[in-house]
Amino acid sequence: MTAYIIRRLLATIPVMIVVALFVFLLLHLTPGDPAAVIAGDDASPAEIDGIRSKLGLDRPIWEQFVIYVLSLLRGDLGTSIFSNLPVTTLVMQRLEPSVVLALSTLVVAVLFAIPMGVLAAWKARSAIDRIVMGFSVLGFALPVFLVGYLLIYIFAIELRWLPVQGYRPLSQGVWETARSIILPAFALGMVYMALIARITRASMLEVLSEDYIRTAHAKGVAKKSVLLKHALKNAAVPIVTVIGIGLALLISGVVITETVFNIPGLGRLTVDAILKRDYPIIQGLIILFAGAKVLINLMIDISYSFFDPRIRY
Amino acid sequence: MTLLATADTEPAPAPASGDVILSVRDLRTQFFTRDGTVRAVDGLSYDLERGETLCIVGESGCGKSVSALSVMRLIPEDAGRIVGGSVTFEGTELTDMPEHEMRRIRGNRISMIFQEPMTSLNPVFTVGEQIAESLRIHQGLGGHAAAERAVEMLSLVKIADPRRRAGEYPHQLSGGMRQRVMIAIALACNPKVLIADEPTTALDVTIQAQILNLMLELKERLGTAIVLITHDLGVVAETAQRVIVMYAGRKVEEASVEELFRHPLHPYTRGLMGSIPRRSATGRRSGVRGRLQEIPGIVPSLREEIPGCAFAPRCSFAGERCSREKPPLEPHRPAHLAACWEVARVAATPR
Amino acid sequence: MAVTTEVAVPVAPRAKSGLAFWLGRNPTIVIGVAILAVLVASAFLAPWLAEDPLAFEPTNRLKRPSAEFWFGTDQFGRDVYSRVIYGTRISLAVGVSVAVLATALGLVLGIVCGYYKRVDAIVMRVMDGMMAIPSILLAIALITLMKASLTIVIIAITIPEIPRVVRLVRSVVLTVRAQPYIEAAIASGTRNLIIMVRHILPNTVAPLIVQGTYVCASAILTEAGLSFLGAGTPPEIPSWGNVISLGRSFFQISPWIIFFPGVLLAITVLAINLVGDGLRDSLDPRIARRM
Repeated sequence: MTAYIIRRLLATIPVMIVVALFVFLLLHLTPGDPAAVIAGDDASPAEIDGIRSKLGLDRPIWEQFVIYVLSLLRGDLGTSIFSNLPVTTLVMQRLEPSVVLALSTLVVAVLFAIPMGVLAAWKARSAIDRIVMGFSVLGFALPVFLVGYLLIYIFAIELRWLPVQGYRPLSQGVWETARSIILPAFALGMVYMALIARITRASMLEVLSEDYIRTAHAKGVAKKSVLLKHALKNAAVPIVTVIGIGLALLISGVVITETVFNIPGLGRLTVDAILKRDYPIIQGLIILFAGAKVLINLMIDISYSFFDPRIRY
Repeated sequence: MTLLATADTEPAPAPASGDVILSVRDLRTQFFTRDGTVRAVDGLSYDLERGETLCIVGESGCGKSVSALSVMRLIPEDAGRIVGGSVTFEGTELTDMPEHEMRRIRGNRISMIFQEPMTSLNPVFTVGEQIAESLRIHQGLGGHAAAERAVEMLSLVKIADPRRRAGEYPHQLSGGMRQRVMIAIALACNPKVLIADEPTTALDVTIQAQILNLMLELKERLGTAIVLITHDLGVVAETAQRVIVMYAGRKVEEASVEELFRHPLHPYTRGLMGSIPRRSATGRRSGVRGRLQEIPGIVPSLREEIPGCAFAPRCSFAGERCSREKPPLEPHRPAHLAACWEVARVAATPR
Repeated sequence: MAVTTEVAVPVAPRAKSGLAFWLGRNPTIVIGVAILAVLVASAFLAPWLAEDPLAFEPTNRLKRPSAEFWFGTDQFGRDVYSRVIYGTRISLAVGVSVAVLATALGLVLGIVCGYYKRVDAIVMRVMDGMMAIPSILLAIALITLMKASLTIVIIAITIPEIPRVVRLVRSVVLTVRAQPYIEAAIASGTRNLIIMVRHILPNTVAPLIVQGTYVCASAILTEAGLSFLGAGTPPEIPSWGNVISLGRSFFQISPWIIFFPGVLLAITVLAINLVGDGLRDSLDPRIARRM
């Protein structure tokens, strides 16, 4: 097991090198002068030169890459062009809302989607199944911002149950945080729920046709227990895989959701960076998110052996 | 569902001498597919006596497995259901019993083991846990007591080092061991009836005999009655007291095992016997070398109502009447039922 | 053992040919295609269906939906209905272009990877790296570095879509290559190019069409998302994402600016997904497992 984890961690190194190379080359291979684009149309030549030296674009390309990788290894994600603050500092300032949003979405989606998928598989081809499948098809089509604004309109503006926008940090109390995060979590979670519900249904349907399910019935096990104990644990591996894939997809959705709900997290950091063309911030966020994605995948793979004793490393 | 007195209701089978524990009367199970209704079991009746071994023989698709699943009420709801007849266990009707009461019978009073030991055990739970679950459900044993009893059951089915094996997962066991575990699960609550659906078919020949002997030995020890479903007349000869031959969802012949092997009356039974590998001169089974005699043709589709004898198209004795009228199941010899218009001619023809 | 006769369940012969019959069994495709036909028609007929999407009338700012302005007006007094109708053009153009580009590039790379082991090792490492980057961030990075234009948006959305297509094509190629008839063709000296064109390419068509529909739907959503964030199509072009983006600040008083393009966006993506799901289920059940 430990050997496997070490092997897998080593295998992430080439992936991360490719990611680093990619964001690095992006800056250098794009046609035109990136410094000029970043500086904007109204910039003076002096300003463009300033940005060029800040980005290190005036040095030979190999030297730039070595410097870049060495600083990454030190945990330095770069420095913002405009605020001159290290990207890591900016990230730390904005981390809490994004992490809270992502985890709440995960919890909300799993809590709703798995029962939905189990129910749909149990009552396959019934009205419930059709509703769940219909929801799942719809969930893939609804853009996050449409769902977000609809939820705000219904629950915050019309019903006045929840705050319209904004985020209350955990330091102000968990209850306040929960109230501010519940709508964003549902808006962001819609696609995720659709994904998990669909795979849960498919996976459960496959498992329910297995011989050992018939054995469980023949033993006199109650239906609920057949579903939730015998079947669900067997269906878990594909479900957990999709939860992992989905969590990685959420990262993209976080950016849009934070904009809709005015949450000062990493997504807002991204949007501000876009508006100011602050490329080092985007570069740093890409490295950070890619690293998170790779680690999530690793954790998912390790979790398989917990669900299926046949999988051993 | 009560006994339907239809025109082709079979007569009561050979009079039962001992006391009957499981009684099946005119059982009809149908599956509803997009291409029509499949009459998988079409009026089956039999009695099982306390402690006896009854074999049900037939080709795949003759309804023998479906009849077993019907007794257990394990026919998948969305696929088919029991449409008529009755199943009584110790005098209680099972076909209209509420599901929660039926659950108390399954795995407790009537148990079942299946053909595929490789896939019939849940891969994500230890075998000990899978045996203990039955005990917890039906006998209300606590976690520890159930686990201890599971280990005892494993030693009862002659698994070496039962305490270690109890903590293992099915994929760590061989096919024969898994079938032993299935037997342990089935017998854990000391059931009155054990239905074994092709329990040895998927196993190696050497293991087959071990598993059959184990079942028979435990049957003697625990007094369990067994319904053994098989397509293998060799298994029948070694294990059964009484035999039912099924064809196209119906019983075509029933007799004690000696009687059946000595005087097969139905052409289909004869066909089955013809396709047993004979012992060669050296006394070894010539399963590989000797060519098996096959019954020509295929099992008929059970979608259409067959007016006459379902076996007629494949039968060398078939006359004009056979494809027109259904032969009744009648005693032709003492305690020997057969459903054939040409019994006299069949009996007169040497094998 | 002895009795080996298999149960043959004869299937009643049925007329299983004919487009009408096939469509009858796949109602989702019919619904999806019907919706898409309406959308494509309105994209082409936009100049006749709608007014000038850029014409603004300051006196008509933030008007509710009415007989005159079906979808209301935005903060510059522009007709939201006209902007949404013209926006159909942008969304469909982006969706189709990205789908075609991504599948074409993915097909070439995938076949080459499935065929040449050495190239495969390198390209797949690059694909792994690309897949680790959240696609919207990759697109944002590209757009930040270049001057905004519709072409750049299409390229930026295409690049992160490529790795999944490559993986799909590669898996098909590897499966097909393992088939005995391909091995026989290789053994008998058939040229690589001929094997690729004659044997491997046809097998990739069905999965690629299905994957193409999903890429198309996802590209339309991504374009809208990017425009919404201000990192997409230049703001003067009336794409759905831009219309929604401008409505952000006014959504409490004028929710229609967001609502109508949002709903149209959802309907479009839904229609494409319905076609994709229908094709996946009917073309080849094996594809479903690969995705």
